[in-house]
Amino acid sequence: MNYENEDNLRLLQLQFIGKILAGFTHEIKNYLAIIKESNGLIEDLMTLGKTAQNDSEQYLEITRSIEEHIEKTNTLFRYLNRFAHRMDSQLATFNLNETLEELIALVTRFANQKKIVIGKDFQEDIPSIYSNPSLVQFIAFSLLNEKIKNLDTNSTITIQTAAADNTVKIRIIPEGNFLEGNDDTPLISYKNLEKLIQQLGGNVLQEKGKETLITLGMHPQ
Amino acid sequence: MPQTKILLVDDEVEFASALAERLELRSYDVKTANNALEALAVIHTHVPDVIILDLKIPGMDGIETLKTIKKIDPTIEVIMLTGHGDVQSVAEGMKSGVFEYIMKPVDIGELTVKIDNAMKKRTKEK
Repeated sequence: MNYENEDNLRLLQLQFIGKILAGFTHEIKNYLAIIKESNGLIEDLMTLGKTAQNDSEQYLEITRSIEEHIEKTNTLFRYLNRFAHRMDSQLATFNLNETLEELIALVTRFANQKKIVIGKDFQEDIPSIYSNPSLVQFIAFSLLNEKIKNLDTNSTITIQTAAADNTVKIRIIPEGNFLEGNDDTPLISYKNLEKLIQQLGGNVLQEKGKETLITLGMHPQ
Repeated sequence: MPQTKILLVDDEVEFASALAERLELRSYDVKTANNALEALAVIHTHVPDVIILDLKIPGMDGIETLKTIKKIDPTIEVIMLTGHGDVQSVAEGMKSGVFEYIMKPVDIGELTVKIDNAMKKRTKEK
């Protein structure tokens, strides 16, 4: 489907949210499975026989793993909650790095499936921008998702941010082999993405198989 | 009945090791693998009776892994691990020779019943 009007854009955004939720729930289920097995293992060790030995180190290791996965679950929920609140208002002042960081956390599962590592190279003191945060995430996701689909396994994608001349720049840099003849339709066509970015007072430069550079205005036009 | 040899294939290392230890405490002989290639290597050196296979493992499509396993030894029974009981994957798995499927998080009692049933079937077929 392509973006021809507002209704279609909403449908595309719903598809985007659906994908994010699918990845999120899968990841949470994995964490819960680890917590459940770890807890079950403690119970088994106590009831099925190993208590005669000094197993305190093993118990500690298991409880640490439970704690770690509860923390990971909590972190992912925090990202999802922030992601959901990005849609509270169409225009808001926000930190681009935080917006991209939560997006990366929520799409990492898709990348992991192909052993693709997503790295961050953010300008730490990047100024806040006044724009449409959920639309910025949708645009970044569309480009990132396309790169994940088109890259071969064991690749990397680095997301850079920088501020210059009253604009902020997002650079998505793929490194690895591109799969030839991948017929997967992108979530949104490049032409329509370009239109959306222009609506946010920006522009996009992309070369097939290479990096993408999105420039956004600090304020909408 | 002889000790059932199990190969547990899941990319979540901690999940696999905790579940493997729980199965060992129930007297199963368990090996683990965290990706498809590792799993195929284990099959050649330590032929399992039952494979517990997460179909969403990195490195190779889960269904392809399943087909390769069945080519190596069609009597090895495969129990498919699934995150969400996704109907399409389950149907595809069943069509490709999966014995049973189980959803994560796993109920250990339910899993051991399925393993024992799979072992009975393999023993009959051998």
